[in-house]
Amino acid sequence: MGAATIEHPKTRSSVRQEDNNGPAPIYVVCSPSRGVGKTLVARLLTDYCVAGRRAVAAFDLADEGPQLNDYAPNHAKVVDIGDVRSQVRLFDSLVATTDVTKIIDVDRRQFGNFFIIAHKIQLFEEARRQGIEPVLLFLVDPNPKAAKAYATLHDWFPEVTLLPVRNQLVSRDVPRGGDFPHLSRLSVCLEIPLLRPALQAAIDLEGFSFVDLGNNTPRSISGQPQDELRLWFRRIRVQLQALELSLLFEQVMTELGARQEW
Amino acid sequence: MARPAVILLGADKGGVGKTTVSRTLLDYFADRKISTRAFDTEWPKGTLKRFHPEITDVVDVTSVPDQMKIFDTIETSGTQVTLIDVRAGLMSPTLRALRDIGFLDMTKWNQVTFAVFHILGPSIASLDEIAETSKLLVDARYFLVKNFINDTSFFDWDQDTYNSYFNRIPHAVEITVPKLSEMACEQVELASVPFASFIGNKKRNGELAVNSFVLRGYVRHWLQKVWAEYDRVKLCDVISKADPAATAAAAAREIAPAAAASRDAAFAALSATAATPRIFVAKDDAGTRDAAARLQRQEPRVAESS
Repeated sequence: MGAATIEHPKTRSSVRQEDNNGPAPIYVVCSPSRGVGKTLVARLLTDYCVAGRRAVAAFDLADEGPQLNDYAPNHAKVVDIGDVRSQVRLFDSLVATTDVTKIIDVDRRQFGNFFIIAHKIQLFEEARRQGIEPVLLFLVDPNPKAAKAYATLHDWFPEVTLLPVRNQLVSRDVPRGGDFPHLSRLSVCLEIPLLRPALQAAIDLEGFSFVDLGNNTPRSISGQPQDELRLWFRRIRVQLQALELSLLFEQVMTELGARQEW
Repeated sequence: MARPAVILLGADKGGVGKTTVSRTLLDYFADRKISTRAFDTEWPKGTLKRFHPEITDVVDVTSVPDQMKIFDTIETSGTQVTLIDVRAGLMSPTLRALRDIGFLDMTKWNQVTFAVFHILGPSIASLDEIAETSKLLVDARYFLVKNFINDTSFFDWDQDTYNSYFNRIPHAVEITVPKLSEMACEQVELASVPFASFIGNKKRNGELAVNSFVLRGYVRHWLQKVWAEYDRVKLCDVISKADPAATAAAAAREIAPAAAASRDAAFAALSATAATPRIFVAKDDAGTRDAAARLQRQEPRVAESS
């Protein structure tokens, strides 16, 4: 498959996609709880894709700040799913293009609505029919509501990759497995390591970009804190690479299996 | 072999979604490979025909030739189900006419399965119409359809009043058609294709369309719920009843001479001018043909179906 130029709906410039490895996935970052790190994970994913020169479109369902759009204004936009018209705008675009990685930051208040609609219109089934792999990245936390929501997602979407994501700041006391079993066929663990409060505050500043770390052009951090942060981001980047490779491996195995049957 | 079935859809007034329900039924039977033909009585343009042109004829139910086209060919058309979408406000007169020509007797004698889908409006007039209609449908299946278009709330009075009417009609069965998003409704209307084709993203000629995935999803979800209602009331079982031995006995029946006299008056009520008396005779119905021959000696014209 050759390179393709993708026009993101928000950016005026286009991001050039390298010779790609197949349809780009849809990542749904979600949790019914507040303050567990959804937006952080969405930012990390977005900046990881941008740093790797991959076409990415991020959708922010949050209506309370700070929002993904505040950190990645060139790649993210705030969307609404309150009426059918806005649902058409969002969900139709999710399955229309296969060469742009899509990241959806689902706010806790939209959690139920988003997945009810997805279930009703068979969003993930349609995505898979288009060759797009949906991945649900569920932020784990001790709230019983989270465990219930995780189980519900597994019931409703048994064929969809559901990965528990552990933000060490929040899920330290949540036993591994247990209420959040790793049921996906992907052999990947996603864990956001702890960060010193001072660095946490730095990355929470509006406009901070993890892409800048890689480009050696930090905005507000220098010296040892910058190295610490780069190490922290590298640990996450390795996990995201593993996730991408796992998805690619699954895709290849699926195609091989299909060819063998044929 | 299943005996033919006739499904009549009617409503007291327009705008309650009668043709929408007709369309869901046509898709339901097509999905279950049940051969169906439809008659759209919104003469001359038709509304149902726009969505199912291959199997729908637009007819003028007040015209005798069109009446013959519908009722003379029920057993000979080769289709299992005949669906008639009756113009709003004409259901009770149509049923009375069917009674008077002996069609409802065919139901009693198990020659035909007859079902009526009464699409309800939200006013108390609908309840009166139910009581009136139900008297004519002792041997037919009577389905009361609550179609929740436009967030209709059915009946503004209390549950007791509601129950008092429905308790008088023990053999009626309720069907609920849930609301479909207005935007989805609108797009299906514009596409002018059956619901199943819209869901499958197909144009009328079978080519791929560019309908919204979200709207297709909503229509699919809605149609599945409607079909679940039809499954719940065992609609397929109702219309697939095998032709019992009673058919042979029914074929030897006589048409009572007295009944023939009222048929003219019945269809005259539907026609602009008084119609010539017509007696509908199936060509392979030997008993009825003998009776018709006897009647012909008394009456100048007997219409024989082709």
